[in-house]
Amino acid sequence: CTDDLNITPKDDQTTLSEELFTSEAAYKQVLAGIYANLALTGTDGAGSSNLKNIDAGTSQFGRVLLYVQSLSADEMIWSYENDPGTREIQRNIWTAQNPLLLGMFSRAHLSVALANNFLRETTDAKLDARNVSAATRSQITTYRAEARLMRAMAYYYMMDIFGKANFATEEDAINSIPAVYDRAQLFTFIENELKDIDADLVAPRQNEYGRADKAVAYMILAKMYLNAQVYIATDRYADCITYCDKITDGGYSLATNYLHNFMADNNTNSATNEIIFPIVSDGSTTQNYGPTTVMINGEVGSLEENGTALGVSEAGWGGALRIRKQLANLFGSAFANDTRNTIISANRPIEITDISDKDTGYVITKYSNAKSTGGFGIDQTFVDTDFPLFRLADVYLMYAEAHLRGGGGTQTKALGYVNALRTRANNTNTISSAGLTLDFILDERARELHWEAHRRQDLIRYNKFTGGNYNWTWKGNGSNGISLPTYFNLYPIPTASMAANPNLTQNTGY
Amino acid sequence: TVTEQSTSSPLPGVNVIIKNTTKGTATDFDGKFQIEVKKGDVIQFSYVGYIPMEVTYSGQATLNVQLREDAAQLSEIVVIGYGSTTKKDATGSVEAITSKDFTRGNIVTPENLLSGRVSGVSVTTSGAPGAGSEIRIRGGSSINASNDPLIIIDGLPIDNNGLSGSNGVLSSINPNDIDSFSVLKDASATAIYGSRASNGVIIIVTKKGKSTFSATYDAQYTFGEITNNIEVFSGDDYRQLVASQPIPGTTLNVNALGTASTNWQNEIFRNTVSTNHNISMQGALFKVLPARFSFGVTDQQGALLTSKFERRNLSLALNPSFFDDHLKVNLNANLAYEDNRFADSGQIGTALQYDPTQPVYDATSPFGGFYQHRSGSNLLSGATNPVANLLQTNNKGDLNRTYGNLNFDYKFHFLPDLRAVLNIGYDESQSKIINSATYATNDDVKGNSSFGNQTRTNKLLDGYLTYNKEFNTLRTEFTAGYSYQKFTNSGDDTGNRLDALSFPSSYEDPDVVLIGFFGRANFTLLDKYLLTLTYRRDGTSRFSKDNQWGDFPAAALAWNLSDEDFLKNSTTISNLKLRAGYGITGQQAVSEKDVFLNRYRAGDANSQYQFGNVAIQSLIASEINPDLKWEETATIELGLDYGLFNNKLSGSLNFFQKNSKDLLFTASVADGTNFSNSIIQNIGELRINGLEFSVNANVVQKEDWNVDFNFNATFLDREITKLALGQDVRTGGISGGTGNNIQILREGQAPNSFSVYKQLYDTSGNPIEGAYVDLNGDNIINDNDRYIKENPGADVILGFQSNINYKNLDLSFNLRANLGNYVYNNVNSSRAQYELLQDVAVPANIPTSVLNTGFVRTADVIISDIYVEDASFLKMDNITLGYTFNNITKNLKSIRVWGGVQNVFTITNYSGLDPEVFNGIDNLIYPRPRNILAGANFKF
Repeated sequence: CTDDLNITPKDDQTTLSEELFTSEAAYKQVLAGIYANLALTGTDGAGSSNLKNIDAGTSQFGRVLLYVQSLSADEMIWSYENDPGTREIQRNIWTAQNPLLLGMFSRAHLSVALANNFLRETTDAKLDARNVSAATRSQITTYRAEARLMRAMAYYYMMDIFGKANFATEEDAINSIPAVYDRAQLFTFIENELKDIDADLVAPRQNEYGRADKAVAYMILAKMYLNAQVYIATDRYADCITYCDKITDGGYSLATNYLHNFMADNNTNSATNEIIFPIVSDGSTTQNYGPTTVMINGEVGSLEENGTALGVSEAGWGGALRIRKQLANLFGSAFANDTRNTIISANRPIEITDISDKDTGYVITKYSNAKSTGGFGIDQTFVDTDFPLFRLADVYLMYAEAHLRGGGGTQTKALGYVNALRTRANNTNTISSAGLTLDFILDERARELHWEAHRRQDLIRYNKFTGGNYNWTWKGNGSNGISLPTYFNLYPIPTASMAANPNLTQNTGY
Repeated sequence: TVTEQSTSSPLPGVNVIIKNTTKGTATDFDGKFQIEVKKGDVIQFSYVGYIPMEVTYSGQATLNVQLREDAAQLSEIVVIGYGSTTKKDATGSVEAITSKDFTRGNIVTPENLLSGRVSGVSVTTSGAPGAGSEIRIRGGSSINASNDPLIIIDGLPIDNNGLSGSNGVLSSINPNDIDSFSVLKDASATAIYGSRASNGVIIIVTKKGKSTFSATYDAQYTFGEITNNIEVFSGDDYRQLVASQPIPGTTLNVNALGTASTNWQNEIFRNTVSTNHNISMQGALFKVLPARFSFGVTDQQGALLTSKFERRNLSLALNPSFFDDHLKVNLNANLAYEDNRFADSGQIGTALQYDPTQPVYDATSPFGGFYQHRSGSNLLSGATNPVANLLQTNNKGDLNRTYGNLNFDYKFHFLPDLRAVLNIGYDESQSKIINSATYATNDDVKGNSSFGNQTRTNKLLDGYLTYNKEFNTLRTEFTAGYSYQKFTNSGDDTGNRLDALSFPSSYEDPDVVLIGFFGRANFTLLDKYLLTLTYRRDGTSRFSKDNQWGDFPAAALAWNLSDEDFLKNSTTISNLKLRAGYGITGQQAVSEKDVFLNRYRAGDANSQYQFGNVAIQSLIASEINPDLKWEETATIELGLDYGLFNNKLSGSLNFFQKNSKDLLFTASVADGTNFSNSIIQNIGELRINGLEFSVNANVVQKEDWNVDFNFNATFLDREITKLALGQDVRTGGISGGTGNNIQILREGQAPNSFSVYKQLYDTSGNPIEGAYVDLNGDNIINDNDRYIKENPGADVILGFQSNINYKNLDLSFNLRANLGNYVYNNVNSSRAQYELLQDVAVPANIPTSVLNTGFVRTADVIISDIYVEDASFLKMDNITLGYTFNNITKNLKSIRVWGGVQNVFTITNYSGLDPEVFNGIDNLIYPRPRNILAGANFKF
């Protein structure tokens, strides 16, 4: 009986694709799988991973994004440099073998693969063959637009971080060797794609929490346009203004309290008016070692042991995260009562001369697993706090910057936005039109958006990431910072990824 | 009566023939025979495995004959795949180890009977009670796929995957039930097992029923102690060290120290007492049914507090024959019960680290009376008391295993040259895990309570036909058969029932089904020229329909050179055989069982996404490789079997090369086109060159004085000749940081070579912390400056054992050496730095080896080559001395009393606890205790 060789899975968590879609509920669950790739690393707990050659927890999308965008710049220090890859990222001495870069490249491309898979499974031909009901089909139209949005978002990050990507769509077969798109090709593709799906996406703030709407597409477009000089050497500031306006027209408003955005209940408190797209986290149902879990456990001070107030264990991760001097210095005396200033400096030197000495350097308490209404998240390690990937404050500051860079709009509006953020932060030092400069915007972005995975992109746009215009602590592996070669504006293509796709070439300099 | 010379036990079934006639008979169960003879007749006695004897009849009424075992063992039966042959007729590299060759000493699991005994075979066992072993034959021919040999018990290939709640697949088997091992090493011998033969085959034959009554009782007592500790600071030294403030920039809190001096390693280890009892009986049930029954009880205490291994074995063998021996039936039925208590070996690390200035107990402690670092009832952050952790945890595993087989061997009535063999095998293991614990913690969840079950089954049906025919000078044998085997695995777990966020889970693996068709032809010309051809076609459920079948052919030639006229009369060379073999074997044993299918996996209760603040069970497509197929290993072997001086000196010399291709290897796939960045695929090549040499010597062979020894040597060289896409793969996870790897797979290098930074030293030869050679000269020390320093594989493996008998005294011992094996000392690399004197909020101890380096920061030094050490060693595993009292009463034939020592000594330059570790990374293995043994063996 050689037929016994043809087996089928027996585990109740595993289903063959031909059986799966006999239930129409499956389409939404498979869509949820695409979103889940931003929060989870695998299907079997926070320690599981569907990626290999990188620690499961450190392959979480938001976590690697945070490392690539914030840890690499002037905002953050990770104390445990024996965690592979962290030393090279935060000292800007990375190579193509860096596991965190592999995590970034592979995790984002997994979003592409999952989105493509969803698109393949929801073609008209397949839906016809499965006799899918009209009601479900109309939902699937939205789902497909969301899948394409998630794919475009993945390509946006690849364009920004690596300057190229494996370009695969639903037309490319499993295990095929994809073409490689450079920045210009990606820019065009993402731009067209996001405009193309606009009609099928749900209006801003009208989708279920956790799912993307039109504003997410606008946000990506706004960010592309703001950085278009970097990506394609073209001025698109006017387009940036246009898309910032489209977002603000969507009915968003600032959270009543700045810190609501970073609390355990930011999925229900006033931050829901401000957060445009979160990466969901939950101490029970969506456990992950993502950016909020890492930052809240990590920001607990080694001396302070202030974890209890933050809703995690008393010692947290023993002082894993601190801030560099440059971020601390942005909060001078004028910011003593600014709610964005969560710095703890008592008994701590500002300088970090020895990275592993967790008692040096300031710590902050920006993120927390406490609720705005009192009480804490359900678990003491895995936090309930969602990561605000995109939020309105960023839009305000983008608008102001694009305006200053000649993109049009009005100064009144720009000033109003900037001061709205100050006022919200209980800071009475509002900005005058004279104070509204590009340098001010860069600093204000750090004060408002630090530890939100934006900093590297901002510094590159200001030509301060590489070169010697601006040296921060440990930049280029010097304790006071040294100049970086320009090619560090792009990360190297991970060795493993390059080996698997002969069409990929290494970025210049590496 | 015909008896066996060495044991005086009667030999049934001996052929008794009057020379040059057809008149003959055979001895009965009691070795007795009757035959009509006349004076001057020459009576020939012959029995397989014994030297034939001729006696000229001189008129006596009774004739007592003692047959001696054939020292040359050339006619010894050697069990091979689906049949047997004799040593003389064997064409492949096959080594038979029978009970007299077994390693003696404290043998709890069967594989240790082979330890150090066979060239090319290494057995590595940890010190945990009842622990399973890592068995490697010729180093293993895979990288990602399994390197375990195929193990076959009485025709039933067993599942190499263990169960939770048990120690290992062989741990539940009673070594006392084993009659012999056959180790099949080269492809010409193993290819009959096709897809599972690349890493060699070990065939275990259990003891059978006999017609004559005999019984044995064995008792063994073992007293163990840990003889070696990792040196950490004593209480006083520690207080001094902390007072000296050795961490620049950090002030340690001297006031946090206590006044006690506790050696935590002494506190977590204990002296052990273990016992082992076995009873076996053989005889004819109802006077006609040869049977064997055995009962074994093993109780082993583990050196680490609370750990223990208890096993009960019941074994029954029935071996009747019918129709004038035309039909032989063998039934083996075994029941095994394991009762384990597992101790968390992670506490060995905690004991190294725990504050030596504090006592074990503290009457005022709210944590069960154990000392804990605390303020009031609030625990300070850092490690917790290891003794408390061990005593407050009770993790038990109970295993029930039922295994056995039913074998029919039928010689056709109308065609006695044709035999049909049918074998039905069954192996089912059920384990139950019961975990309970109390933690010292500030968390809401203060303990663990969980239950789990696991069941594995293994069902076999195989059958074959064998046809023997002689044509003048040509002997032929043809075998053809079919085999079907199916494995299942499933289980469940309640999760921690004290934790509201924990949830029950269950799993069920896809079935693994293996189907094979096989055939073998043997040709022997003039008793001198031998040819064996084998072929197997195997199917596996692990691959898709298009790839699931593989073909595995092999051929071997042998030439009994010593039977040629020019050597026939040599007094020096008594046996000389040249062998050459070539074959292809396969490999499909990867953990993936259904990776070729289009699957989705649903998130578990902790792995869902939230839409509208409601958890939705997300479905994520699973990685897929529809093209997965067999890994293939081609082995070429040249061998020589020799016997000198009437076979007083005998042995073999083998040269082999194994080339594995299409390695089942987890390698990158282009990102964005699969549901992982890396999937198992057929990519890469591995080459093993090896040389094996063995010598068995009967140094003294006299009436009451016997000395023999066995020496074997294996030279192995494994090299990755081709790797996925030419790129390096990092492997060998270590502790000290999340996800650090110390080993690398690289083309042109041995697998798992160490990839490290080259340490810089100051002028007086002391290492400079964090300073490394900038090997690529780019002024940055980063990954590109790592180089390869050695690998964990031994270049040379040596084994030596000797048995010495003088009258009733017997002495045996064995020695084992590995040369050129390197170990990464992860104990020092992740622990011997001054900054670790502070463990979050509490003081912590570190190894005194820090005094040699003066290193302060782990992160700066963990990848240094200073931690890769030569771990060559010489070990004496066992030495035993026994005395036998013979013929005590009419029924009690003999008593042997014996004593011995296990883990007698280790000679090595390695600085860690034990140079023999798994995979070359020393991260605190469960230590191997020195055991003092005493035992007695009664024969009835």
